[in-house]
Amino acid sequence: MIKFNNVWKIYKIDKEIEYQALKGISFEIKEGEFVSIMGPSGSGKSTLMHLIGLLDKPTKGKILIDDQDITKLNDDQLSTLRNEFVGFVFQQFNLIPKLTVLENILLPTIYARKKLDYDPKKKALALIKRFGLEGKEYSYPNKISGGQQQRVAIIRALIMEPKLILADEPTGNLDSKTGIEIMNLLKYLNEKEGITIALVTHEADIAAYGKRTIKIKDGEIVKS
Amino acid sequence: MNYFFFVVKAAIEDFKRNKTQTFLTSLGILIGVFSVVTLVALGLGLKRYISDQFALLGKSTLFIAPGKILSRGGFNTASSLASIKFDNRDLLRLKKLREIKEISPIFSKQTTAKSEKKSEESTIFFVSEAFFDINGFKIQKGRFFDKNDVSKKAKVLVLGPKLAKKLFGTIEAAIDQKISANSVNFTVIGVTEERGGGGFGGPDYDSYMFSPYTTGFIFNPAKNYSRFAVKFDENYSISEVKEAIKKEFLKRYDEDSFSIIEPGDILSAVNSIFGVLNIVLIAIASISLLVGGIGIMNIMFVTVSDKTKEIGIRRAIGARKKDILSQFIIESIILSIFGGFLGLILAFLGTLFIQRFFPAYIDINSVILALGVSSAIGIIFGVFPAKKAADLEPVEAIRYE
Repeated sequence: MIKFNNVWKIYKIDKEIEYQALKGISFEIKEGEFVSIMGPSGSGKSTLMHLIGLLDKPTKGKILIDDQDITKLNDDQLSTLRNEFVGFVFQQFNLIPKLTVLENILLPTIYARKKLDYDPKKKALALIKRFGLEGKEYSYPNKISGGQQQRVAIIRALIMEPKLILADEPTGNLDSKTGIEIMNLLKYLNEKEGITIALVTHEADIAAYGKRTIKIKDGEIVKS
Repeated sequence: MNYFFFVVKAAIEDFKRNKTQTFLTSLGILIGVFSVVTLVALGLGLKRYISDQFALLGKSTLFIAPGKILSRGGFNTASSLASIKFDNRDLLRLKKLREIKEISPIFSKQTTAKSEKKSEESTIFFVSEAFFDINGFKIQKGRFFDKNDVSKKAKVLVLGPKLAKKLFGTIEAAIDQKISANSVNFTVIGVTEERGGGGFGGPDYDSYMFSPYTTGFIFNPAKNYSRFAVKFDENYSISEVKEAIKKEFLKRYDEDSFSIIEPGDILSAVNSIFGVLNIVLIAIASISLLVGGIGIMNIMFVTVSDKTKEIGIRRAIGARKKDILSQFIIESIILSIFGGFLGLILAFLGTLFIQRFFPAYIDINSVILALGVSSAIGIIFGVFPAKKAADLEPVEAIRYE
């Protein structure tokens, strides 16, 4: 589903000085996989996550998503792909504070270009109920707990029925008990709903939820 | 829930969170719209007032005045100052014309009108009995003077209602009372109906006095007339009548020494003057709109910086550049329409207040103009900040803390 082929990301810090964040990385994530991407800070895993999430483009190399070379897509096409193909779950939750829980969840659907074959509000309310957030629909994010916020973020990631959920340190801002709940939720989505999950973390016990781990260090894959 | 609702609701939530900032930002537009709308209201009010005064004159009315008062749609003050004076020979010439039904020579005298108890500054218009019909006056109490009074040189006065009240307390009390003006004793025979107006340099008929022109020769031994008012037979067209008068007057005067004026001429001259005046006023007031717009642009740039993270989140979940662009432009429009709306309300209140002593008037065009201009400002001054927001790299924006 996702193929990295000799992908480089080089940042120009100065005219002379370059920083090589990724040095020719190649790997593949298949549909239905739960892959953990692990590495210490500065290893290039954030850069890698941004590339998988279509937020950034590589300096060199090819990234194929469903056999489509994303380096050849324009901004609108990339936005559409982000909207339909990926669901993001961030460490900071990244909910919009001035929108209610329900509005945050529906936000991806208002940017949708494709016709949805379901009623987004009905679906959102069903997911809210299923994830134990009933009664919080019209609360603002700062009025609910971190664990609840992260569940809202996961529902927002699910609302467009994406093939891939990209989770960037999803437990980083949560206590360990809530963290485990969130990880079990992701595991459930992968096992029961067949959603592909790419998890970026620096914690080994969190990475262990994945069925496969890609270890990255100094911009290179050390184990995959 | 559609896209537009989401954007508007998000913008309004933002404004609620920053009430002071929102209000101060809108203040520039508020002041701009307020001054434009109020100034236009003053101009329109004045124009409408003057038009109303002319509307009292019938369609078949003409004035003949010395000099070329109107030229190319504007007032020509230079030539109206130094020019000829009409006299009885001109009146006889006009009387000969079969196109003309009624004529009144007109001249006036500023004087102090003294009743038994009070005295008031006023002006006596010396006219013929036809003057009242030509100018659309109506009697409220008593009577107008007639042909007989004119030929007898009767020392009678018809008063404007304001003056009658000032001198005698009530309109009823004025009838048959004596008024002395420049040591000549007059008897009040009638009081006209109110015409309104005056108070800012316009003709205030309600404070004038009218007396037969023949009587007025006491003050005017040369028997000169400052102008004529005529009513013509409606079987003739206005141009035929003008041509006839012109032909007659050219026998004595050259073309530049007299004018034949239709009320419509004066009206269009007034209109063109107020047209120019309005444009100048609007141009001056527009400067504050411009400053207001720059204020909005400034705040929108700040807002874009403040919302970098939010832009990143929106881009990550699928917003395109144009979605971000329209979001910020809509925000900027809401901000300026908010200011424009407040300015409009303030202008309404201000106009209500001004109307107590000046005929200000807000028409629907000013409202449309005000709201149109404020949304245009929102778009124009919102575009650059919005473009900045849209051009943020998603990865930079989402990483921003």
